[in-house]
Amino acid sequence: MELIQNALDRDAKNLSEYESKRVLSAYGIPVTREKTVRTKDEAIAAATDMGYPVVLKGSGEAMSHKTELDLIALDLKDEQSLKEAFGEFKNRQDITVEEFLVQQMVKGNRELLAGLKRDPQFGPCVMFGLGGIMAEVLEDIAIRVAPLSEFDAMDMMDDIRAKKILNAFRGKPPVDRAALAQLLMALGKLGLENEAVTEIDINPVKLVDGKPVAVDALIVLKNEG
Amino acid sequence: MKNSNLDRLFNPKSIAMVGASATPFKWGSIIPLNILKGNYRGKFFPVNPGIDRVLGHECYPTVMDIPETVDVALVSTPAKTVPGIVKQCGEKGIPFLVIISANFSETGPRGAALEAQVLETARQHGIRLVGPNTMGIYSSRSDLHALMPPTMPLKGPVSMFSQSGNVGVQMLAWGMDEGVGFNKFVSSGNEGDLNSADYLQYFANDEDTRVILAYMEGLGPGLDLFPAVQAASLQKPVLLFKGGRTDAGGKAAASHSGTIAGSNRIFKAAMHQAGVIEIHTSQALMDCAKAFSNCPLPRGNRVGILTRGGGWGVITSDSCEESGMEVPPLPDVLIKKIDKLLPSYWSRGNPVDMVAAISNDPFLECLEILTGWDGVDAVIALGATRATAKFPFSEDVTKPPEVMRAIEKYLKFRRTISAQPDAILTGIKRLADTTEKPIVAVSIGPDHLHRATLQDYQVVSYPTPERAVRAIAHMVNYASFKKTARFY
Repeated sequence: MELIQNALDRDAKNLSEYESKRVLSAYGIPVTREKTVRTKDEAIAAATDMGYPVVLKGSGEAMSHKTELDLIALDLKDEQSLKEAFGEFKNRQDITVEEFLVQQMVKGNRELLAGLKRDPQFGPCVMFGLGGIMAEVLEDIAIRVAPLSEFDAMDMMDDIRAKKILNAFRGKPPVDRAALAQLLMALGKLGLENEAVTEIDINPVKLVDGKPVAVDALIVLKNEG
Repeated sequence: MKNSNLDRLFNPKSIAMVGASATPFKWGSIIPLNILKGNYRGKFFPVNPGIDRVLGHECYPTVMDIPETVDVALVSTPAKTVPGIVKQCGEKGIPFLVIISANFSETGPRGAALEAQVLETARQHGIRLVGPNTMGIYSSRSDLHALMPPTMPLKGPVSMFSQSGNVGVQMLAWGMDEGVGFNKFVSSGNEGDLNSADYLQYFANDEDTRVILAYMEGLGPGLDLFPAVQAASLQKPVLLFKGGRTDAGGKAAASHSGTIAGSNRIFKAAMHQAGVIEIHTSQALMDCAKAFSNCPLPRGNRVGILTRGGGWGVITSDSCEESGMEVPPLPDVLIKKIDKLLPSYWSRGNPVDMVAAISNDPFLECLEILTGWDGVDAVIALGATRATAKFPFSEDVTKPPEVMRAIEKYLKFRRTISAQPDAILTGIKRLADTTEKPIVAVSIGPDHLHRATLQDYQVVSYPTPERAVRAIAHMVNYASFKKTARFY
């Protein structure tokens, strides 16, 4: 893929969130609506176009740990709060933010993760499990070697300890298992077709009317240097 | 994947042993002794330039001097001599070498360089290698015991490859105690050339092999394991014991087997996906080999339990549920049937508790009813043990003659019973022949009877219910994989 090749050409270790989602999207994985902007006016135009509430994030390949950098402003309900968040990021002394992501705010209290890791023995392996900031603590994930059959993808959902979270939950509908299976199978395909991709981290995957949407994503590339 | 036909390796018409010796207690004489005492069906040619005869067989200076075709050469000479020997074997046209010699890649870079030299020479001559650093091979059809220890495995449908020679050979020995028979065995050693995937593929297609056992530690970079296990599991059960699953074990593996243990979590998931039955203890490997090689696969996960005591029934039920199986309630029709056989205070449920009934007939009748019930897929018979002559009493105190006479009566009864074919086991065997469900016996008793139980009655038995349940649970999981495998 051109996006990946360009990143390799400029020696990037990973794709930005925006680029990562473009790659995922090319494989049919649903992602949040979003736009990269550089100025306050562009941000307002983008937010008006996709409708409030929105999320404002620092963008660029150096921003792979936005939460730790405190460069995420969630649930901005109107133009005023968007302007304020933009100003705050711009005025940061410790880090220079030149590029921003204005993103559709996806609500939902279920956070899943999906990902990929290239294993020296088994090749690209797809991961699925409980997401959010506690993912590394809970380590509740299922793994399958790519390519995944639909059976493998469905089987993964039954493999995690927290599998009940995929049922109807606190007034929300159950997960669309077929759509989630498609997402997982697509990840495997992406890994098989792009040798340079060593890791993919989609965390969180949120559910909109039961359908999975990639809210944050990171694609890590093989760094020959 | 390479297509490795290993027929000539496992069933050679002739074998040479390079490094044969006439001195007892050296590997060069122990291995020939194991081959000859095992009645190997082919021709045996010892090779050593310094001696004339080994165990009554003419000894040749080099393989080139052997007047006939040689299918397999075993090599046990010091590592530095091996490249030269491989070259001679190549010129002689020997297709397979089994390199017993150690001191190769398992010891560090110098050994690795020597191993690379051996491999290159073998490749030039189209030779396939087992090892180096192997403890040998076994094949039942050829009565071939080309092994370092004097083990004489029972014959049967289980074939095994093991990256650890000691673990593998011990399984052959445990099989002798448990009544589990082996078809082929290879200690794969450093896997310089032929590796676990090659053996898997060969065993998967081998008609004489019905169950595959594997002990693995490391996964070399060139090992194409996943497609091999996937293909093999679709054909027959693959029971895999992976050493080096933890950080401690992993480090031990890196220094032990010359390869680095892979990422364990991914390994585990990949094996599950491929339908491999992953085993976590050495005892379970043997237990499961026994069940898989002697029982039909259950169709589902529902278990019927017959017990001679309430407590054992409870333990067995818990163990079943914890292993993902069901112990369904007994329907009224069956309760009514069993009402006619047992005292009125019997359990009236599954597990069927025989309460205090000690005679054989109701036990077998209840077992038949349970087995015939379409609500269960497997049956566990607790307390189904071969009668033994044991009747312990203290002999150091003189007892009144009345007590002694009573003891004598019991002893006589027990002697009579144990001299006859065991009625319970005979009954289970008869029942097993009429059903497609596995019936597993649990002696809740001494360990040493299980080989006889299997060999004399073809009944699979274990000393404890937990071990029986574990074996059945693995069969249930494999059967379930086979059902879903159509999605591939």
